[in-house]
Amino acid sequence: MMDWGPLILTFKLALITTVILVILGIPLAYWLAYSKSKIKPIIETLVSMPLVLPPTVLGFYLLVAFSPSSAFGNWINEWIGLRLIFSFEGLVIASIIYSLPFMVQPIQSGLAGLPKQYKEASYILGKSKRTTLFKILLPNIKPALLTGVVLSFAHTIGEFGVVLMIGGNIPGETKVASIAIYDEVEALNYDTANTYSLILLAITFFILLTVYLVNGGYLKKLGR
Amino acid sequence: MIDLSLHKGLHTAQGTMPLDIDITITKGQFVTLYGESGAGKTSILRMLAGLLSPDQGKIVVNESIWYDSTTKTNLKPQQRKVGFMFQDYALFPHMTVRKNLEYALSKNQDSGSIEELIQMVELGDLQHQKPSTLSGGQQQRVALARALVQQPEILLLDEPLSALDTKMRLKLQDYILKVHQQYNLTTILVSHNIGEIIKLSHQVHILEKGNIVKSGTPTEVLTSHKMSAKFRFTGEVIAIQQEEVVSIVTVLIGNNVVKIIAQESEIETLNIGDTVLVASKAFNPVIQKIV
Amino acid sequence: MNTLQGQISNIQVNGSLALVSTRINPIDFTAIVIETPETADYLKIGNTIHVLFKETEVVIATETSKNISLQNQIPGTVTQLKKGTLLSRLTIDTMVGDIVSVITTNAIDQLNITEGTKVTAMIKTNEILLQQ
Repeated sequence: MMDWGPLILTFKLALITTVILVILGIPLAYWLAYSKSKIKPIIETLVSMPLVLPPTVLGFYLLVAFSPSSAFGNWINEWIGLRLIFSFEGLVIASIIYSLPFMVQPIQSGLAGLPKQYKEASYILGKSKRTTLFKILLPNIKPALLTGVVLSFAHTIGEFGVVLMIGGNIPGETKVASIAIYDEVEALNYDTANTYSLILLAITFFILLTVYLVNGGYLKKLGR
Repeated sequence: MIDLSLHKGLHTAQGTMPLDIDITITKGQFVTLYGESGAGKTSILRMLAGLLSPDQGKIVVNESIWYDSTTKTNLKPQQRKVGFMFQDYALFPHMTVRKNLEYALSKNQDSGSIEELIQMVELGDLQHQKPSTLSGGQQQRVALARALVQQPEILLLDEPLSALDTKMRLKLQDYILKVHQQYNLTTILVSHNIGEIIKLSHQVHILEKGNIVKSGTPTEVLTSHKMSAKFRFTGEVIAIQQEEVVSIVTVLIGNNVVKIIAQESEIETLNIGDTVLVASKAFNPVIQKIV
Repeated sequence: MNTLQGQISNIQVNGSLALVSTRINPIDFTAIVIETPETADYLKIGNTIHVLFKETEVVIATETSKNISLQNQIPGTVTQLKKGTLLSRLTIDTMVGDIVSVITTNAIDQLNITEGTKVTAMIKTNEILLQQ
């Protein structure tokens, strides 16, 4: 009998992570695209680190930081009442950090690639930076936004190492699909593992296919 | 009245070039900045618009201070009442012509002015199209109209016509002159084209390596020869007619049409639309009281 | 427009008027202008200057005469003649180069001018423009 719980949890995690990443990623990408600050290279490096760092390394440090025995974990626990290890909330935060470059980088390069006259023309027309961002800049980098959203979503679905380190394997709380697959294989339930894997494979394939079709303009061509 | 005193080290391919200018522009004038590329013309416009900060200096427009390095005053582009036409138009590609203009409306501004502007630059038929479907000249008209939506007092034109062919250029010059007069603008144009400058501007400043080397009326500054003729005008050729051994060239000077006899060799290089100098000795014209 | 180049040889000033002589070997052209060396820096003896006059201002005579007010007289030979109904154009080969004149066809006929005719081209001093 297959348990749908891990799959539902996976998509819930990916969805929440992506929504929060859109909210955080756009201002961060905007700052990175236009700032001339000296600390910009450091922030850029930090944002990109999850791309190359083994997920277990990230997971390990998050585990240390989130642990109630650490100052930060203790503070969060006492003041907000959130326990971040072996909890869904902890997973969300870890996923945000883990998928951050996948949201920030496309948007950053999208913004940097726009002619600066768009921004300047909007300012001269009396529009604030905020209005300019939402009415002029973002509408002109829709492909980059879509890429950011989809890659973050897909990447969160695929995370394993980080989850294993700080989430553990609590059904309905932290047992996401990738962990469930690992579990089933350990228990030699290859059929169930295969079902989970196939579903993830198919979904990921179709998500990415959609991105390439939309950004490549194929859908528009078909519509004509 | 615009008082500009600007000092800035500009970064160029040849290293840092100091820009150092001091000019006063009377309200309602049409002023051109002329010079080689890299002389600092565009930088002056950008500093006036607030897109570029001078290192030192002062910008005072109609007695309000836009920039003053001594008091660290520096108004944002949003706070400066200028219209700016970029060299490559900078129309927003995701908006239609009308939406581009509507975007420029300030809060609580009546949208009736949009209709008037669309009529004026004759874009009624194209108003629901995206900029990418328009020709260069049409895009330029949209950019001109958009720069005027907020009813600025100062219009800055950064080589707006350089990408257009001669015919389109002449037409757009007329639009620019029309809006300059109709909206009582003070206009500052960056241009390379001498005919254009003579046709449009009252005053021209020649820039060389960040400094103004010459200022005056276009005929004083740009016609290369010094001539003793006292009866001298610039105009636009509107007709050339061949008559047995001579030709009659009809020239529009201001609102007056005059005719000049010319030789074959003189009209060889002359085309309709050309800006020409018409000169005669002060001894020739007769004078008669009309009233 | 006829354009000749020469050097200023003499400047006679009175008030804001100046009578300027320009030497184009071997002839001196005189021009009256509302400029003085103070108002126009190109008015300097020895300066190279262009002398300009319109074809329609060139008077043609077949005999030289001292009893005429025209100061600028240049002898030459008609090398080209183009006759129109009312106006005709003649090119005259002179010591200072080609000078073109446009006069009425009636005058051409009256003076019996053909290619090869020896003529004198004459220009009033107030018809000559100076240009640097």
